[in-house]
Amino acid sequence: MNLVVTGLGAAVSVSGVAAVAAVVLPPRWRPGVVGAGMTLAGCAGAVAGGWALAGRTGHAVLPALLPLGTARIDVDALSGWFLLLVGAVAALVGVYTAGYVGRSGTGASSRTALAALPLFVAAMLVVPAAGSVSTLLAAWELMALCSLLLVVAEHAHAGRRGAAVRAAGVWYAAMTQAGFVVILLGLVWLAAACGGESFAALRDAAATVPGTVRSGVFVLTAAGFAAKAGMVPLHPWLPRAHAEAPGHVSALMSAAMVSLGAYGIVRVGFDLLGGGPSWWWVLLASGGAVSALYGILQAAVAVDLKKLLAFSTAENTGLILLAIGAGGLFADVGQPALAALAVAAGLLHALNHAAFKTLLFFAAGSVVHATGSRDLDTLGGLSRRMPLTTAAFGVAALCAAALPPGNGFVSEWLLAQSLIHALPPASTLNAIAAPVAVGVVALTAGIGVVTYVKALGTGFLARPRGARAAGAREAGPVMVIAMALAAAGCVLLAVAPGLTTPGLARTVTIAMGAPARGLAGGTAGLALPGVAAVYAPMLIVAGLVVLGVGVAVVVRLVGRPRRRAIAWGCGNGPQSERTEYTATSFAEPLERIFDDVLRPEHDVDVTHYAESAYIVERVRFRRRVPDRVEAHLYGPVRAAADRAGRAARVLAAGSVHHYLAYGLVALLIVLVAGVIR
Amino acid sequence: MARLGLISRIRRTGRLAEAVPERAGGGVPDLGGSVQVRHVDAGSCNGCEIEIGQAFSPVYDAERYGVRQVASPRHADALVVTGPVTRNMAGALRKTYEAAPRPCLVVALGDCARNCGVFAEGYGVAGAVSDVVPVDVEVPGCPPPPGEIVAALRGLSGR
Repeated sequence: MNLVVTGLGAAVSVSGVAAVAAVVLPPRWRPGVVGAGMTLAGCAGAVAGGWALAGRTGHAVLPALLPLGTARIDVDALSGWFLLLVGAVAALVGVYTAGYVGRSGTGASSRTALAALPLFVAAMLVVPAAGSVSTLLAAWELMALCSLLLVVAEHAHAGRRGAAVRAAGVWYAAMTQAGFVVILLGLVWLAAACGGESFAALRDAAATVPGTVRSGVFVLTAAGFAAKAGMVPLHPWLPRAHAEAPGHVSALMSAAMVSLGAYGIVRVGFDLLGGGPSWWWVLLASGGAVSALYGILQAAVAVDLKKLLAFSTAENTGLILLAIGAGGLFADVGQPALAALAVAAGLLHALNHAAFKTLLFFAAGSVVHATGSRDLDTLGGLSRRMPLTTAAFGVAALCAAALPPGNGFVSEWLLAQSLIHALPPASTLNAIAAPVAVGVVALTAGIGVVTYVKALGTGFLARPRGARAAGAREAGPVMVIAMALAAAGCVLLAVAPGLTTPGLARTVTIAMGAPARGLAGGTAGLALPGVAAVYAPMLIVAGLVVLGVGVAVVVRLVGRPRRRAIAWGCGNGPQSERTEYTATSFAEPLERIFDDVLRPEHDVDVTHYAESAYIVERVRFRRRVPDRVEAHLYGPVRAAADRAGRAARVLAAGSVHHYLAYGLVALLIVLVAGVIR
Repeated sequence: MARLGLISRIRRTGRLAEAVPERAGGGVPDLGGSVQVRHVDAGSCNGCEIEIGQAFSPVYDAERYGVRQVASPRHADALVVTGPVTRNMAGALRKTYEAAPRPCLVVALGDCARNCGVFAEGYGVAGAVSDVVPVDVEVPGCPPPPGEIVAALRGLSGR
């Protein structure tokens, strides 16, 4: 028993106690106790992860825990990286939860929703620590079930809101279970081929498994893990679940759970299978690239604040998967050091994304808490009314837009560096894929800036566009503390990315078997000595401060005295908030440019007076940007499932005798199959 | 060859331009040869507008003297106001003047702008431009010919 296993055990025990407390305590105490439990569990998990990143490993075997199998815990640096990520996010979310859910005892503060929260955290901590197929699958399923409960926490809401929550729950349940099934098939297939189910056994035997089985296992598991990561076209659950879940749940899911999809792919693809042919990784990287572009385009035209953040999650996981795919490709064509750099960029982006997305969902949650609205077109004016939330959202938006000195820039810079230095190319495929990938990263970053300028500008600045935004009040002190802590995490990752390099190097060595090429870190920044690339965020921050102070001083000394004048409204009276830019109008040019991709729907409905066709009584304008991928891909599937379900009604005639006969027939089939084998 | 001859003739001739007009007096600041003008129609019959259009046309080309028309008072050094100030436009004119950065020059263009012209004491007329905002330069005429408009604007730009 070392600190890794002790920390993990403590995290799981504290989570269990918190879950029990949520059931037995009165509503008044619940949020505080559950929040404290989550924070403690998260801290313990993060300590275990940090210890694993420092080079320790942890093993534990719990023989009687799972039916039909032994639960194995096997923590290495790769597990440690994700333990740290999940633990840190869970600790922050614990603080936020205490202030966010309220004490009503219904919805997000109901007994079930609060008991599921610590269990969700525990499951997410066990997933990266799992050391065998059955342990991983059990934790994965527990994670899926808890998150489903949390997504539908507000299902009892009246009207359209409640219906949307229920629809999100159905989508999420269907897709997450389908993902679980393909992961299960893939891993069980691998375990059967290797003749053992512990990861150590798989690792040893994987090289002897035939290529078709390896490819089948990779495609199945990658599909399941990518569905959890929200990769297009497996994403439709993501904007729904993230938008309809309560704020703290969105933060947990988007920042922590989604990253575990990337963990699964790295663990199975690199660590267990030991890499594979180029086409695996090109498939993964193209999925990631499409995901990044499609996600950020949908985010740029979204008017629902949380839907915008959800699509931005799809974008960021797309970039992570692109990095992992590029890493696999480079490894296959014989550039192991470069491959390690690409995977390092992906893993670092997972951590950075977790940091800023936690903060973004915290801020979005406190906006929803204060205004009851997620519609950017009716928000605005929050910078005066909620200055701290606005500041938090501003910090996170800078990071998420991948602009220096934000932390999103660090990992996207690393990714671009690894792709650029794929030259001279080792193969034709490489020569085509790498420049295209650089273009994807650049375009994604560009549209990302538009997206977050829109979110901050129309959501928080200017004047309120609706009564509810006008009456907004700042979030409570506990929520503000949680946001401040998350912002501190973002700033730390942004100005001192060098702190992560020792752990990152160990993680990548586990995954790739080779350290990242010349990735050197220090307190000042990151350097890639081999290719003469240096990123020093401290210098950028210092430069920005000097520039800002310098301009302010020069303006004060040289400039003329200021005169306040009216806002220019073409000579007309004070402008109403109806003349402000809205989220829709801000994104309209982009919507036009990417018309062929997004296919927005516009609907103008003009009603005339009965007396004359020349006098208009009412004009109704409706605009919607539907999710084309979802409509074209899932529409037919849903229709077919619907038809099959209706046809199968013949079987369910309501007669008990029939049902007993079905059971008997099924049993006979199983027995016959067993005997024949 | 012929082209070369033309170029050398141009070089020999040098620059031909009218003499720089006298700068408009009365405390008009030096705008460094560049004047951005916002035009305000305070109730004009549009006669002056046609002549302003001519002044900026290729024939008179006021822009070569550093005078440009702009679309917002926020960008303007000077307002060119035409017509008597009607009651409906008095507030808008005041707001336009308020919205422009300082120093803001005001050119009252045409007889109506200077003293309400034939519309004096009309029921919808609030007064001359100088009754609403301080006027720096006046251009007489009903309407003033484009050449005089250009001359007045050159008085501001000093070119």
